[in-house]
Amino acid sequence: SLAVKILLFYVIFYGCLAGIFIGTIQVMLLTVSEFEPKYQDRVAPPGLTQVPQVQKTEIAFTASEPRSYEPYVRNLDNFLRDYSAEQQTENIVFQDCGDTPSEYKERGPYNDAQGQKKVCKFKREWLENCSGLNDPTYGYKDGKPCILVKLNRIIGFKPQASIAPANESLPPEVMAKYNPNLIPVHCVAKREEDADKIGTVEYYGMGGYPGFGLQYYPYYGKLLQPRYLQPLVAVQFTNLTYDMEVRVECRAYGQNIVYSDKDRFQGRFDIKFDIKSS
Amino acid sequence: SARAAEILARDGPNALTPPKATPEIVKFLKQMIGGFSILLWIGAAFSWISFGIQLAQGVDSAFDNLYLGVVLALVVILTGIFAYYQEAKSTNIMASFSKMIPQQALVLRDAEKKELPADQLVVGDIVEIKGGDRIPADIRLIFTQGCKVDNSSLTGESEPQSRSCEFTHENPLETRNIAFYSTTCVEGTATGIVINTGDRTIIGRIASLASGVGNEKTPIAIEIEHFVYLVAGVAISIGVLFFIISVSMRYKILDSIIFLIGIIVANVPEGLLATVTVSLSLTAKRMAKKNCLVKNLEAVETLGSTSIICSDKTGTLTQNRMTVAHLWFDNQIYSADTSEDQTTQPFDQSSPSWTALSKIVTLCNRAEFRPGQENLPIMKRVVVGDASETALLKFSEVILGDVMSIRAQNRKVAEIPFNSTNKFQLSIHETDDPHDKRFLLVMKGAPERILERCSTIMINGKEEPLDSEKAEAFQTAYMELGGMGERVLGFCHLYLPENEFPEGFQFDTDSMNFPTSNLCFVGLLSMIDPPRSTVPDAVSKCRSAGIKVIMVTGDHPITAKAIAKSVGIISATSETVEDIAKRLNIPVEQVNRREATAAVVNGMELKDMSSEQLDEILRNHTEIVFARTSPQQKLIIVEGCQRQGAVVAVTGDGVNDSPALKKADIGIAMGIAGSDAAKNAADMVLLDDNFASIVTGVEEGRLIFDNLKKTIAYTLTKNIAELCPFLIYIIASIPMPIGTITILFIDLGTDIIPSVALAYEKAESDIMNRRPRNKRKDRLVNQQLAVYSYLQIGIMQSVGAFVTYFTVYTEQGFLPSTLLGVRVDWESNAINDFEDSYGQQWTKYQRTYLQWTGYTAFFVSITIQQVADLIIRKTRRNSIFRQGLFRNKVIWVGIFSQIGIALILTYGLGHVTALNFTPLRFQYWFVAVPFAILIWVYDEIRKLLIRRYPGSWWDKNMYY
Repeated sequence: SLAVKILLFYVIFYGCLAGIFIGTIQVMLLTVSEFEPKYQDRVAPPGLTQVPQVQKTEIAFTASEPRSYEPYVRNLDNFLRDYSAEQQTENIVFQDCGDTPSEYKERGPYNDAQGQKKVCKFKREWLENCSGLNDPTYGYKDGKPCILVKLNRIIGFKPQASIAPANESLPPEVMAKYNPNLIPVHCVAKREEDADKIGTVEYYGMGGYPGFGLQYYPYYGKLLQPRYLQPLVAVQFTNLTYDMEVRVECRAYGQNIVYSDKDRFQGRFDIKFDIKSS
Repeated sequence: SARAAEILARDGPNALTPPKATPEIVKFLKQMIGGFSILLWIGAAFSWISFGIQLAQGVDSAFDNLYLGVVLALVVILTGIFAYYQEAKSTNIMASFSKMIPQQALVLRDAEKKELPADQLVVGDIVEIKGGDRIPADIRLIFTQGCKVDNSSLTGESEPQSRSCEFTHENPLETRNIAFYSTTCVEGTATGIVINTGDRTIIGRIASLASGVGNEKTPIAIEIEHFVYLVAGVAISIGVLFFIISVSMRYKILDSIIFLIGIIVANVPEGLLATVTVSLSLTAKRMAKKNCLVKNLEAVETLGSTSIICSDKTGTLTQNRMTVAHLWFDNQIYSADTSEDQTTQPFDQSSPSWTALSKIVTLCNRAEFRPGQENLPIMKRVVVGDASETALLKFSEVILGDVMSIRAQNRKVAEIPFNSTNKFQLSIHETDDPHDKRFLLVMKGAPERILERCSTIMINGKEEPLDSEKAEAFQTAYMELGGMGERVLGFCHLYLPENEFPEGFQFDTDSMNFPTSNLCFVGLLSMIDPPRSTVPDAVSKCRSAGIKVIMVTGDHPITAKAIAKSVGIISATSETVEDIAKRLNIPVEQVNRREATAAVVNGMELKDMSSEQLDEILRNHTEIVFARTSPQQKLIIVEGCQRQGAVVAVTGDGVNDSPALKKADIGIAMGIAGSDAAKNAADMVLLDDNFASIVTGVEEGRLIFDNLKKTIAYTLTKNIAELCPFLIYIIASIPMPIGTITILFIDLGTDIIPSVALAYEKAESDIMNRRPRNKRKDRLVNQQLAVYSYLQIGIMQSVGAFVTYFTVYTEQGFLPSTLLGVRVDWESNAINDFEDSYGQQWTKYQRTYLQWTGYTAFFVSITIQQVADLIIRKTRRNSIFRQGLFRNKVIWVGIFSQIGIALILTYGLGHVTALNFTPLRFQYWFVAVPFAILIWVYDEIRKLLIRRYPGSWWDKNMYY
C-alpha cells in the first residue's frame, strides 16, 4: 500500500503541476493578441528569399535533361499556384491595386472589428517569361533559369523606398527605373571577377517594374489576410556562363531594409548557379 | 673515512626512506580521469567525432561541435587542475610540518672529532651524545655518565630510562646499553658505536611496518564514489535510452549522438566535485583554527562519522603535568584547584597547620624557576626539577607568592636529596624569625615512611601525640587519596632544640648528626596529572553524540580509572566487574559481566586475550579503559573496534603509535608531543594536543556531511531542468530550449558560489545529540534525496523554465501549438521564410537568434528558481524561518553572485555569438518567480508534514 500511496502522490503531484503549467500558458496566451505578435524585434528587418527553395543555395542542372531541373520547376509551380488569375477572382477578398507602384494601402486597425481585410491582386502575367504561363519550365530548358524574389512577410511592416538623390549606393540600373513607391530588387555577381559571367539579367515585376510596389504593404497577418499575396520579382539569367559556379547576390533596396553580416538572408540573399552544358 | 664512505655506499644514508610518494604527474592524471571526468571526455570525444563527420559533409554548423568538445575538455582539465591544486595545497601544509632541521652528530673518525650531518653516519662510527641531543642512530654505548634517555616515542614509557654500558637483557629493547635512533638523551653524556643506520634501525623497522598498513578509503570518498556512480548511472541510462528512442524516431545517427552529448552534459554536475573540495577545505580551515590540522581533506568528514575514539590519556585528556590535587591536614581532606590557569587556591588556609605545611612544601623542594619568567603566569613558567617538585613549587608560588625570597629568608644549611632507599627528602633551614634561633628540619617523602619517623601530629597548629586513632585517620586519608590514583607525599618537620643545635652548628648529612625520628607529622599532599578542564565537557558531548570514548594508556589502572572517572569516560553511576564484586562482596568470577557497563582492562590481560574475547569486551561494555597497554596493543584495540563496524579515531604521539594511527579510520597525532613519524602516519594533527579539539572536529565533520548533502541536493535539482529540454526537444521536436554551452554556464557559473555557500550553513539542530551516522545506511546521497531533487523540485523547475520559454516564443509570434514538431524545418538552413503563427516569415538566423533568446530565458528561469532552491536547501527538516533567512550571510553572497553572473552573461556578453546569450527583455526575469515561490511553499509544506508526522510514509520518503 506504500507503493500505492507513492503512486497516488505522484499522480496528484504531476496532475497539479500539469494543471499549473497549462493554466499559466493559457493565462499567458490571453495576454497576446491573435492578430499581431507582441514583439517583432527578432523578425524585422525582413529577410529576402527566393523560389525555388534550394539546399545549400545552389541551383544546378543540365538544360538538356528535364529531370535535372524538374524539382525547381515543381517548386515554382506550387508557389505560383496562388498567383494564378483564377485564384484571384473573389472580389470580396481581392482588390485591384493598379499596375504601377503606388502608396501603402492602410486597412485600419489590426483586429477583426471590420472582418477580414482585402488583399491586392498580383497578376501572374507580370512575371512574363518567368510566369510559367508560356514556358512551363521557367526558362530552365533553355539554360535561362528564373528565380522568384520575395520579401519576407512581417505584420505591419512598411518598407520605405530609398530617396533617390540621397542614396548613392544604389546601382545605376536601379536608379534608372526609380519610382518613389517601389522597393527595387537587383542582382549582381557576388564576386567582382564573376561580373562578366552572369550575363544579362532580366527583371519582371508589377507593371514591368523590377521591385515590390508599396501598395502591397502593410501585411495584416494570417488571420486578417489569409490569402495575402506578397509581391514578387522574377529574375531571369539569360546568359549565364555554363560549367562553372556563378554566385549571384540579390538585394532589395529600401531605407528600412538593412543587411547584416550575421544574417546572410536579411534584405538580400545569394545563390549559386551551376549549369552544365551536357 | 674511506672505509666510512664505502659503508655509506653499501648501506645508504642514515635516514628513513620516506613513504613512497605517488609521482605528481600520476596524481594529476588521476584527477583528469576521476569522477565525472570520464563521462565528459566521452562527451568531448563524441563532439569531435560529430564535428569530423559534419565537416566532411560540409555542414555549416560543424564548428559548434568542435568548440563544444574543446569546452568540455577544458572543463575537465580545469576542474582537474583545481582538484589537484587543492590536494597539493593540503599536502603542503603537512610537508612544511614534517620538514626537519638537518641533524648534526659529533663523530669520532680518523682519530679526530668532527660534526657531521647525521645522515652521513655509518655502522661502526663512534658518536658522542649529551643531554638534549637526539640519538642519531641505533648505538651501543661504550661510555656513559648519568645518561638517561627518553624512549617514550618508541616504547611508550614516559619515565626517562637510565643507560649504562652493561648488557642487561637479551631483548635489544630491554637492554640498557643500547640507545635508539630518534629518541632523545635527557641528561648526562654517553659515547657509543653505531650498530644500525637508516631503515635498519628499530624505528626504521616500525616505520616500514606502518607503511605496510594499508590506507583505507575515507568514508566520504566512498560516499562521493557512490554518488558519482549514481549520477553517472542516471546519465548513461537516460542517454542510451534516448539514443535508442531518437534512432527509432528516425533521427539521423549523428543527431542522436549530439543529443547524447547534451544529455550527458545536462546530467553531469560539472562543478560539483570542485564545490565539494572547496567546502571540505573551508571546513578544514575552520578546523585548523580550532587546532585540528587536517592533512587529508576527506578526513574532515571522517571525523564526523567517528563512532569510537581511542584516546591517549597523558597530554590529551590530561594536562601532562603533575599538579597538587588534594591536601590532608587537621584530619581533613581539602581539594585544590587543578585547572590550567590557577591564580589562587580556594581551600581554607586559616589553620596554623597549613602555615606549617606550606613552609615545609616551600622549603623542602629543590625545584627552581628558570630566571627571567617573572611576567609569565605561574603555570606557564619553566621549572628545573622533577614533576612532583615542580608541582609543589608552583603550588606554593600560587599561594604564598615569591617562593625564592622565602627560601632566601630561610637559608638552607643542610640537605639530603631524595633517593630510592630512604624514600624521603630532608633539609634544614634557619628560620626567618630573627627572635627564633632554632633550626627547622623539614622532610617529605612516601607517607608511610614519613609517618614511621613521627611521634606527634599537628592538629590545628598544636602538636598532639600520634596515637592509633590518629594513625588510623592518616591511613584512611592515605588510602582515599591513593585510591583516586594520586601520588601522595607526606610532610613533617621538627624545630631542633636551640640548646643542642646552636647557631652555626655544622650539620653533616653523611653522619646524620641530627634527629630523623620523633618528628611532627604535618600533613599529606597528593598530586595527579589532572584532566584538562575542557575534557569532561567534551567527553559528555561525545557521549550524547553517541561516540564511545575508550582510554588507552600506559598508566597504572588505578590512576587510569581515576582520570577516566573524573573526565566522565567512566560515568559516576557505572561500575566495573570488580566494583560490583566489591559492593556485593562476592568473588569477581560470580559477577554477571553484563551488569557491568564499565571495564578497566589491563595490558597484561589483553596480551592473553583472543580476538573474540576482546570483541566481547568491546561489545558489552560502553565505558572502557585500557591501562598498562603498550603502543603495539593499540593496534589490536583499533582492529577490534573496526571489527565492530565502527569508524575509529585514534590519538597517538609515539613512533610506535604509527601503525595504529595508519590503521585507524582517522589517525590523530599530537602536534606538541607527537613524533614526526606519528604526524606522518596520521590524517590529522591536533595542534594543542587537547581532546576537546577532537570533539569540535567531530562537530565540524558532522556539519559538513549535512551541508554537503544540501549542496548536492541543490546541484542535482537543476540537472532535471537542464535535461528535460533535451528530452522534450527529442520527443516533441520543438526548437531547442537550452544549449549545451548554456548548461555549462549554469553548472560552472551561476551555481558555484551558492553551492559553496551552503557549506557555511549552521546546523539545524544539535548535531552532537545524534548518533554517528551508520556508514552502511546513512548515505550522503540517498534515494530520497535523489528522488526529491530529480522528480519533484527538478520537475517544478522545468515547468517554470518551460513557461518562460513558451512566453518568449509566443510573444515573438510562435504560439506553443505551432512549435510542436517543427524541429526539422526550424533547423534547416535552406528555409529562410519560415512561417510563424501570425503568417510572418523568419530567416534561419532570425530563428536561431530567437532560439538563443529562448536559451537565455530558460537559463534565467533556472537561475531564478535556483535561488528558491538554494533557500529551501538551507534546512532539511526545520522551517527556513526558524533557521533564519539572514543568519548565513554567505548564502546571500551566493544569491547576489548568481543573479549578478546571470545579468552579466545576459546583458554584458549578450552580443558574443559563441556564448549563445542574448539580451533579454526585463519582464522575462519574473516569469519564473511564481514558480520559485511555489517551490519554496511546497518545500515548507514538506518540512511541516515531516515535522508533524514523524515516522509516516511522508517522513520516510520525503526526508533526505
